[in-house]
Amino acid sequence: MRVVIVEDQALLREGIVALLREQGIDVVAQAEDGAGLLRIVAGHKPDLAIVDVRLPPSFTDEGLRAALEARVRQPGLGVLVLSQYVEPVYTAELLESGEGGIGYLLKERVGDVRGFVDAVQRVARGGTALDREVVAELVRSRTGQQGEGALSALTPREREVLDLMAEGRTNAAIARAMVVTSGAVEKHVSSIFGKLDLPSTDDDHRRVLAVLAYLRSA
Amino acid sequence: MTDERTRYDVWGAAIALQAALAMLLGLVLIFIWGLTGAGSFWPKWVVFALAVPLSIQLAVRLALRVGDDRRRAVALHGAASGWLAAVLLAVYALAGGGTFWPLWPVATLGLAFGAHAIVVAALPSLRPQERELAARVDELTRTRAGALDVQAAELRRIERDLHDGAQARLVALSMQLGRAEERLEGQPEIAQFVRRAREEAGAAIGELRDLARGIAPPVLADRGLAAAVEALGLRAQIPVTVHASILRRPLPVIETAAYFVVAEALTNAAKHAGGAAATVELADHGDRLVVEVRDDGPGGADATGTGLRGLRHRVAALDGTLSVTSPAGGGTTVHAELPCGW
Repeated sequence: MRVVIVEDQALLREGIVALLREQGIDVVAQAEDGAGLLRIVAGHKPDLAIVDVRLPPSFTDEGLRAALEARVRQPGLGVLVLSQYVEPVYTAELLESGEGGIGYLLKERVGDVRGFVDAVQRVARGGTALDREVVAELVRSRTGQQGEGALSALTPREREVLDLMAEGRTNAAIARAMVVTSGAVEKHVSSIFGKLDLPSTDDDHRRVLAVLAYLRSA
Repeated sequence: MTDERTRYDVWGAAIALQAALAMLLGLVLIFIWGLTGAGSFWPKWVVFALAVPLSIQLAVRLALRVGDDRRRAVALHGAASGWLAAVLLAVYALAGGGTFWPLWPVATLGLAFGAHAIVVAALPSLRPQERELAARVDELTRTRAGALDVQAAELRRIERDLHDGAQARLVALSMQLGRAEERLEGQPEIAQFVRRAREEAGAAIGELRDLARGIAPPVLADRGLAAAVEALGLRAQIPVTVHASILRRPLPVIETAAYFVVAEALTNAAKHAGGAAATVELADHGDRLVVEVRDDGPGGADATGTGLRGLRHRVAALDGTLSVTSPAGGGTTVHAELPCGW
């Protein structure tokens, strides 16, 4: 797996690089701004770009824009965005940006090394990694704008599974997080899909997309 | 002051002297006219010629008694017009009448004077103190806008500093603790301490994030008002439609105030207009930014609630206006207008 990192703050960039290398992930290049991102993506053809939203020179959403552009130039490129903030507008832009894995994590999640590495690997493989805050935001606006609807039919356990699924986790990861067996998770999942009337699928990634599509439908 | 009075007195004495001399000269001429056979009454022209300078001096003196500058100008205008009209009428009369030619010039003089008087009467009088006050108000308005704008820029700088400084360091700290935790697999007790330290760092990051968001949400600085309001709509607990037609970016202070007007109005709508939908309009009307949030809820909102009162102060501090219309059963409309300084 080949990864590039774009972060203007050296302290963080070097920390993330060291952390990923310790975990055996191949960081092939680093950059500090949007133009640098496009350059190293073109030069190294990575599987994944880890990008800070706020980058020089504008210090606004330069990183996100550059990442979306890089994805246009290299379809299928995984993009994992790191930010200090959860912005629903940015989440939506990422989710609509075409083929390839996407991730949107709050920066402090890098402290949870296993969770972060898991997210990096998922996105590089074409999966999804959404911060739990992002998922909470999606669920909140979904339930707020349409009332509880079908979500109210879910048991508390199923709600928990739904949130973890929306974050992009696999059954095994959900089972670990909830300290239950994989079989129990599978049961919850099929019950959720039944109650929400979603097409069932064995493919983890498609399942995440179905859940996200449901949460985002307004 | 004394000099002025002395000068006026000299002028007054001069006028009295002129008047006396004119009368004397007039009498002498009439006497001569009588002696020379009292034919055509020619002294009338001499008397007229003597009266002209005297009368203009008297009219001006009279007009100058008015204290207020603008009213004195009207009085002088009146004196000059009246004098000229009198001269014309006198010339007409002395010349023996006939077609009444002074009609048009006299009417024109009258109209011009009337217009001047009306304009002055309609405008609020500006005494020196009032002029000073008006200048002061102008200056305060300007400096207040400047101060508020500096404050808004300063707050955004603080937000940036938090992002690049404390927040970044805490993220780095959390990352180092995470790496340490990974190496302490064999010592679960110590690993537990490290994990707690990491969670504390995470809580601090969360608190800083809330603080920064309260100053100004990053999407507002990044993408401007329309995008930030779109984001509010996505976040809101009720369906929100946003219509934005703003072509330019207002000053940060105006943008932030407009943003918080929408945020508060949507929060209220979600709280009180259970399940209703809301529409947000952002428009650029000349030099004013118009912000309107309407919901189709039950109406009857309390326009004096603390949230709305705070907003009204915030908007008023920028010389804007904010009104809330909320008839029972008719939905609630929050309408704000802010000067943009474009």
